[in-house]
Amino acid sequence: MMRLSNLAIGILSAITAVVFLLLYGPLFIPIISSFFSISHGGVQWNDPSLSSYSALLENQGILKAVGNTLIVGFSATLLSLVSGTLLALHYCGGKSLAREAMQFAVFLPFLMPPIITGLSLLIFFREVGIPRSLLTVIVGHTVFVQTLAYRVIVVRLQSMGPSMIEASIDLGASATQTFIHIILPNLRSTLIGAGVLSFALSFDETLITLLVTGTDSTLPIRLWAMMRLGFTPDINALVAIILALTVLLCLLAVHQLLPAEVNPDE
Amino acid sequence: MLFVGSAQTGVWPRLLAAFAYCLPLVFIVAPLLSFLSYSFFSMENGQIIHDLSLLNYKRFFTDAIFLPVLWQTCLLCLAVATLSTMLGFPVAFLLANLKGRRRYILLLMVLVPLLMSYIIKIYAIRSILGGNGFLNRFLLWTGLIAEPLSLFVFNLNAVLLTLTVLLIPFAILPIFLSLERIPRSLIEASSDLGASGMQTFIRIVLPLSLPGIVTSATFVFVLAIGDFLTPQMVGGQSGFTFGRIVYSQFGTAFNWPFGSALSAILAIVVISVIAAGNWLEFRRR
Repeated sequence: MMRLSNLAIGILSAITAVVFLLLYGPLFIPIISSFFSISHGGVQWNDPSLSSYSALLENQGILKAVGNTLIVGFSATLLSLVSGTLLALHYCGGKSLAREAMQFAVFLPFLMPPIITGLSLLIFFREVGIPRSLLTVIVGHTVFVQTLAYRVIVVRLQSMGPSMIEASIDLGASATQTFIHIILPNLRSTLIGAGVLSFALSFDETLITLLVTGTDSTLPIRLWAMMRLGFTPDINALVAIILALTVLLCLLAVHQLLPAEVNPDE
Repeated sequence: MLFVGSAQTGVWPRLLAAFAYCLPLVFIVAPLLSFLSYSFFSMENGQIIHDLSLLNYKRFFTDAIFLPVLWQTCLLCLAVATLSTMLGFPVAFLLANLKGRRRYILLLMVLVPLLMSYIIKIYAIRSILGGNGFLNRFLLWTGLIAEPLSLFVFNLNAVLLTLTVLLIPFAILPIFLSLERIPRSLIEASSDLGASGMQTFIRIVLPLSLPGIVTSATFVFVLAIGDFLTPQMVGGQSGFTFGRIVYSQFGTAFNWPFGSALSAILAIVVISVIAAGNWLEFRRR
């Protein structure tokens, strides 16, 4: 942007290094300690072992929580992509006050603190008489995650411009044909990126889930319960595995969504 | 856009419109309204009384606990917002000045923590805090300190530190975007006219990036004030925040109507902060 002196670059790099140390440093402690055995309530640094990983495999509660998280994640992602696409198509169909109001309502769960979204749904489900279960968790996640899917799809639709769709209709295609042959193929990479991002968001969602969940807990809730009870060896192994998975998901999502100008590979 | 000419009167656009208005109405607006109406209900013998009253709000303003906790929480979040923005600005500035692969990698490193499990990040930071946490033991081991520091035990300081670390990435991105939007020509003109790097930074770059700084600070403040997990995990006994009180009304205290009223007050604080941020941004234009 501007020409910086070596001193300025040095100072900026030093501060940046401190920030990244703060962001990433703490994460290495559970990862490293996951490869050592734990006894007497502490990590035995002179005894490397994979015992925490085998303890993890025997923990039925965690395996069930992983299953629940996957069910919720895939359902919420699919629902968000469908509703996000439909909402975006309607929003881009014209200009009106009602459309702006709709968009504002869709943005609300992202603007408000999650605790408000969570307890609104909690109270709503109680009033309507729906018991708390995985289903209510899926609804909670979808309401939150669809905002992001919707926004990404609107941006893509707007950058596409109307000419292709007009041409398709002029040539005699129906709305359904236009959707399947013109709009959907053009949304493909956007939908993949939004899907990965939605899944990652749903995978980690804790604040809303904590309020709307019943007896079935997802992974973050299970982790939260384990951490409150204290130190067990399998937490570190679980933390290490989840971190590895999230980094992988992030790289995928960012690769799909970052504009080509920032991405040197394209 | 999809429906031009004759297709505009068909069945599909009507179905689409019906879906687009019903979905947010049922799953977003209706829950928010039921939450708001709950804040006017009351509790009696463990039963929720569906009669409208202002009792909950009266309790908030008259009870000596709640206003001071809200005020203390606002100060805490303000401190978190200031710290995150101050640490985030240099990173965003460096990011805006880098090119090519280096810039891409640094940007990725800022983005990745955003998608990492919140609870795991709290857990990781928690393991280095505490009286005999990693940080204290490390400092003792290096000989920098003789006795464990009380700075890192579980209290409001720990909440401040943890929230700052968690929210720095949210502060970096808006500042980075506002720096990106500064026209190169302005900076070139400034240096052509003989301004030094420092002068250009203070007179051109800093004022033009103010909207981004304001967005970052509001963003971080709103995220910090709505959080109840972090204070619960690292706050210990003394680190009580407003979010924690709200959450306890839905758990141990079991007073949903009062909890709703407290959240409505939280929402008012959040909306005021966002409005103030917008006002600051527009006033400068």
